[in-house]
Amino acid sequence: MSGSLILQSVVLGVLLGGLYALLAAGLTLYFGVMRVVMIAHSAFLILAAYLAWYFTSQTGLDPLFSLIITVPLFFVAGVVMQRLLISRLRPATLTMMSVLLTFSIALVIEGMLGFIFSGTQRRIQLPYSGTSFEVFGANIAVVKLIAFVLAAASLLALYLIMKRTRFGQALRATIQHPEAARLVGVNTDRVAGYGFGLGLATAAVGGTALALDSTIYPSLHWHWIGPLMAIIVVGGLGSIPGAAIAAMVLGIGQALLQLPLGTTWAQTIFYVALFATLMLRPQGFFGGRLAQRF
Amino acid sequence: MIGHERREGRGHRVGGAWKRGSSAVVAGVAALTLAGCLSSGSAGGGGGDSDEDGPITIGISLPLTGDFSEPGKGVQRGYEAWAAYVNENGGLLGREVELKILDDQSNADRVASDYEKLINQDGVDLVFGPFSTRLVVPAAQVAQDYGFLFVEPAGAAEEIFTQGFDNLFYAAPAVAQDHYDYLADYIEQMPEAERPKTAAYAAMDDPFAQGTAYGLKDRLEEMGVETVVDEVYPPNTTDFSSIANKIADSDADILVGGTQYQDAVNLIVAVRQLGYQPRMAAFSTAPTNPEFPEAIGAQTEGIISPTGYTPEASWETNAEFVEFYTEMHGTPPNEDEANAWTTGQVVAAAVEAVECADASPECQQSLIDWLRENEVQTVVGPLSWDEAGRPQGAHLIQQYVDGEIKIVLPEEAAEADFIAEKPAW
Amino acid sequence: MTASRTVNRGVKIVGLLALIALALAFPSLAPDPFILSVGVVIMSYAVLATSWNFVGGFTGYISLGHAAYSGLGGYATALLILDAGLNPWVAMLLGAVGVALLAVPIGIASLRVRGASFVIVSIALVLIMLLAFQSWGSVTGGSNGLRVPRPFGPEVLRPEQHERFFYLHLALLAIALFTWWAIDRSRFGIGLKAIREDEDKAEALGVPTFSYKLAVFVVSAFFTALGGGLYALWFGFLDPIFQFSILVGSYMVLMSLLGGIRSLFGPLLGAVIVGYALEFFKAQYGDTQFHLVALGLLLALVVLFMPDGIIPAVGQLVARFRPQAASIREQTQAELAAQRRGEASEPDRDDAMAVSGEEARR
Repeated sequence: MSGSLILQSVVLGVLLGGLYALLAAGLTLYFGVMRVVMIAHSAFLILAAYLAWYFTSQTGLDPLFSLIITVPLFFVAGVVMQRLLISRLRPATLTMMSVLLTFSIALVIEGMLGFIFSGTQRRIQLPYSGTSFEVFGANIAVVKLIAFVLAAASLLALYLIMKRTRFGQALRATIQHPEAARLVGVNTDRVAGYGFGLGLATAAVGGTALALDSTIYPSLHWHWIGPLMAIIVVGGLGSIPGAAIAAMVLGIGQALLQLPLGTTWAQTIFYVALFATLMLRPQGFFGGRLAQRF
Repeated sequence: MIGHERREGRGHRVGGAWKRGSSAVVAGVAALTLAGCLSSGSAGGGGGDSDEDGPITIGISLPLTGDFSEPGKGVQRGYEAWAAYVNENGGLLGREVELKILDDQSNADRVASDYEKLINQDGVDLVFGPFSTRLVVPAAQVAQDYGFLFVEPAGAAEEIFTQGFDNLFYAAPAVAQDHYDYLADYIEQMPEAERPKTAAYAAMDDPFAQGTAYGLKDRLEEMGVETVVDEVYPPNTTDFSSIANKIADSDADILVGGTQYQDAVNLIVAVRQLGYQPRMAAFSTAPTNPEFPEAIGAQTEGIISPTGYTPEASWETNAEFVEFYTEMHGTPPNEDEANAWTTGQVVAAAVEAVECADASPECQQSLIDWLRENEVQTVVGPLSWDEAGRPQGAHLIQQYVDGEIKIVLPEEAAEADFIAEKPAW
Repeated sequence: MTASRTVNRGVKIVGLLALIALALAFPSLAPDPFILSVGVVIMSYAVLATSWNFVGGFTGYISLGHAAYSGLGGYATALLILDAGLNPWVAMLLGAVGVALLAVPIGIASLRVRGASFVIVSIALVLIMLLAFQSWGSVTGGSNGLRVPRPFGPEVLRPEQHERFFYLHLALLAIALFTWWAIDRSRFGIGLKAIREDEDKAEALGVPTFSYKLAVFVVSAFFTALGGGLYALWFGFLDPIFQFSILVGSYMVLMSLLGGIRSLFGPLLGAVIVGYALEFFKAQYGDTQFHLVALGLLLALVVLFMPDGIIPAVGQLVARFRPQAASIREQTQAELAAQRRGEASEPDRDDAMAVSGEEARR
C-alpha cells in the first residue's frame, strides 16, 4: 500500500466527511430542539438532489442555481412540518411517535419520487464531472471540491447563526432547557419551528452537493440514514459540533478502511462506532446533559 | 374494505362484547371476508381446464416497479410484442395468445406469490419467466412444484443452474461466465509481449454482474495475467472514489467492470477523476445502453462490452422481429426485449412440436422433454441446452469505434476492427 | 355489575372459540392454493407483529428493525440445516435461541438510555445485517441467496405444504399470544407497563426498568426469530435484501399500531388488515410505486389520529353506549387520571394525556 494511495484516501475522506458533517448537523438540530429522530432527513436529501437534477435537465443551468429555490422551499417545508405535524403529537410519546411519523414521510417521499421520476438511476451530466487537479500527488475532483465547499460554507453559516444572532441564542436556550427558555420569554414553539426549517435547509444544500457527483434513485435515502444516525449518536445527541467532528472522523475512517477491507465492510465502521459508543459512553463523546437521558 | 370489516365487527358488539372478545370477532370476520374477496377475481379461472378453442393464457410476473423496473419494462415490451406478432400470424396451435402480466415489485416474496396466483387462480396454460437472477430462483421453485415448464429471459448466473431445477431453460445465448469468451480468446492469441500484464476487476455484488467479470478473470488468470485489484461493491453503491483510488494506484493494463448500468458510469467518471488510463476497458451491460454515450460523453472510444443480441444479427427470424418491433415502438429492440421475444419463440417451438398447451403435468412434461432434445431457431441464434438448462452459446463482443457501438469479435461477425489499444478517456 | 361481567366473559370465550374455529377451518375454506398461500403469509405477519408487540406493546419502545431478528432466524435455521445437518425443527429452535442470545448485548447497548438510541440502533441493526449477509457470501450465499431445504419430502405437494405451514404458523401464533397474555397478567407485565406509561416514575417505584426491558426485548427477539425461521422453511429461499429490509420491520410496526399495541389481539387484527390491504393495493395500484405512498400515508394517519389503534378506538366507541361502570382492565395512566377526575362526563383523552405528559416532563 503506497503512501500516495493513503494520502488520496485521506483527501477523499475529508471531502466526504464535509458532506456527512453538514447533514448530521441538521439531523442533530432537530433532536436538539424537538427531541425528534428525523428519519425523513435523508429522504429530503434525496428529494433535493432530484430537484437539482430536474432543474438542470429542464433548464440546462448549473445545478448550484437550484439552491435559490430549494433552500427557502425546504426551510418553509420544515417550519410547516413542525407546526402542522410534529407539534400535534403527545409530548409523552413524542420521541417514539415522531420516529414513526417521519418514517412515514420518508416512505411517502420515496414512493412519490418513484412514482414521478421512476426507479431509474439519475445523474446530472456536467461538463466538468471528470475534471480534477493535483495537490501533492493527490487528485482532487472539481465536483467533489465544490460539494465540500458548499457543505463547509453552510456549516459555517449555521455556526454563525447559532452563536451570533438573537435567534441562535433563543435556539440554543430551547435546546438546553425549554421550560427555562419559555420563562425568560422565548417563544419556544416558534423557535422550534424555525430550528426545524433550518435543519431541513441543510438537507437542501446537502442534496444539491450530493447530486453533483453521485447517482440518485428513490431508495437511496436508506443508504444515508444509517451512517448519519450513527454519527449523531457518536457525537452526542443534540450536539452540533459533536456531530460535525464525529462526521469528519468517521468519514476519513471509512475512506481509509476501504483500502484494506473493501467498500462493503468499511461501511460497518459507522455501526461499530455506534455500538461502541452506546456500550462505553451512551451520551456520546460530545453530548451534554440532554444526551444522557435519550 | 377496511371500513366494511369494522362495520361488521361493530354489529356483533351490540351484544355486549368488550375489548378482547370483540377483537377476536373483528379478526374472525376479517379473515372470512379475506377469503371471499381475494377469490372473487378468479371467475372463469380454475386449475388446468383445457379449453380447446379459447385463447392460450400465459402467466408472467415482472418487476414493473422497484429496483429492477427498468429492464423489467423492457422485458414486458418484448413479451407483448411477441404476443401481438403471434396473434397477427394465426396464433399458437390456431389459438389466440393472451398474456397475463403481474407486477412483483422487484420482491422475491411477491414473485413467488404471483406465480402461485397465476397457476392456481388464473388458471394459465403456460408461464414465462420473470426478470433478474434474484427473482428467478423463487419463481422457478413454484413452477417446478406445479410441474410447469419454466423458460426465463434473464437469469444468467451459474447459481441458477446448480439448484437442481429440471424445468428451467435460459432463453439467451450464454450464461454469465461465458459472456467474455470471445474477448478472452482474442487476448489469448495475442503475442505474449502485447498481452495485458495486469488486470483490475470491479464487480457489483450481484450474481449476474459478478459472473460476467469473474468469467473473464478466470480465463485471464489462466493466461498469466496478474490480478492487481479485485473489488466487489454492493448494488446500492454510489460513491466509487475509493475503488477508483485502488484501481488508479495499481495502474492495471486492463479494467474489467462487472456492471449493470449506472455503476459503470460512476466508475468511469471516478477513475477519470483520478487520471487513470487503462489499455483496455470492458464493462458488462452498461455500454450497450443507448443512454451510455450521452452519460460518458466523448470518452466512450474503445470501451468493450459483451452482448447477447444486436438488431443487425442475420439470424433468420431476426429481421422480422426488428421490423415488427420497430413499427410497434418506434425504436429497435434492445437485449431485454430480444430475450423476452426469444422466450416466446422457445416456448412456441415446443408447443407447436408437441401440439399441446395446457396446464396438465403431462403436457408440461412433454414440453420440457422436447426442449431437452431439440434446438430452437431464435432471434439470438440457434439455442440448445444442457441438462441443467444452460444455453450452449457465447456472446458477441462489441466496442465503441468512432463513437458508435459495433460488433468487433468474433471476426466472422465483426462490423469493425477491434481496437486493442484504447485511446485516452 | 357481576352479572354483566359474567356475560362479558361468556361473550369473550365464545368470540375466542369462533376465532379459533375459523382459523382452523381456513385451509378448507380457501378456494385455491393461492388463497391458502396468502393465508400463510398473513399468519406469518401475525406471528411477527405479535412478537414485535412484546417490546412495543409492553414497554412502548418502537423498534423499526425487527426484520433483523426474523432475518437472522431464517438464516440461522437454513445454515444449521445445511452446514450442521440438523433436523429442520431443531434447527429452527436452536436458531431462535441463538438469536435471543445475540439480542442480549444488543439490548444492553440500546436499552441503557431512553427511546431515541433504541430506535437508532434498531434501524442500524437491519442495515448492518444487510451489509454483513450480503458481503459474507462464503457462508450466507451472499447476493446469490440461499435455498432452504424443505422439511417435508417431495411427496408432500405444494398445496399440502401450504396447509401444513398454515397450521404451524397458527400454532406458533397461539404460543406467542399465550406468552403475551401470561406476561400481561404477571407482576413482570405490570412493571413493564409502568415503564411504558412513565419510565421515571416506574424507576422511582423500584421497578428494575433496565433488566425488565432487556428481558422482554430478548423474548421478543426469540419469537421473531422463530417466526422468521418458520417462514424461511415454508418459502424455501433467502435473499439478504428481502430478509433484512426496513420495510418488513415497518410492516410489523404498522400492523401492531393499527390493531392496538396494548391489546392482545391488536397485532393479529392489524396483520389481517394490512396483509389484506397489501394484496388489495397491489391489485389496484400494482404498476406504480403507489404502494409505498399508501403505506406511508396509512402509518402517518394511524400515528396522528389513532395512536392507540383500532381495538381501543372501537372499544371507546362501544363504551359510550354502555354504563360507566364497565370493568376496564387495560387502562392508560391518562384514562385512570381522567376517571378519577370526572365521574359523570367523559373527558377528552388527548387533553388528559397531554397533561400527564407535561407532568412526566417535569
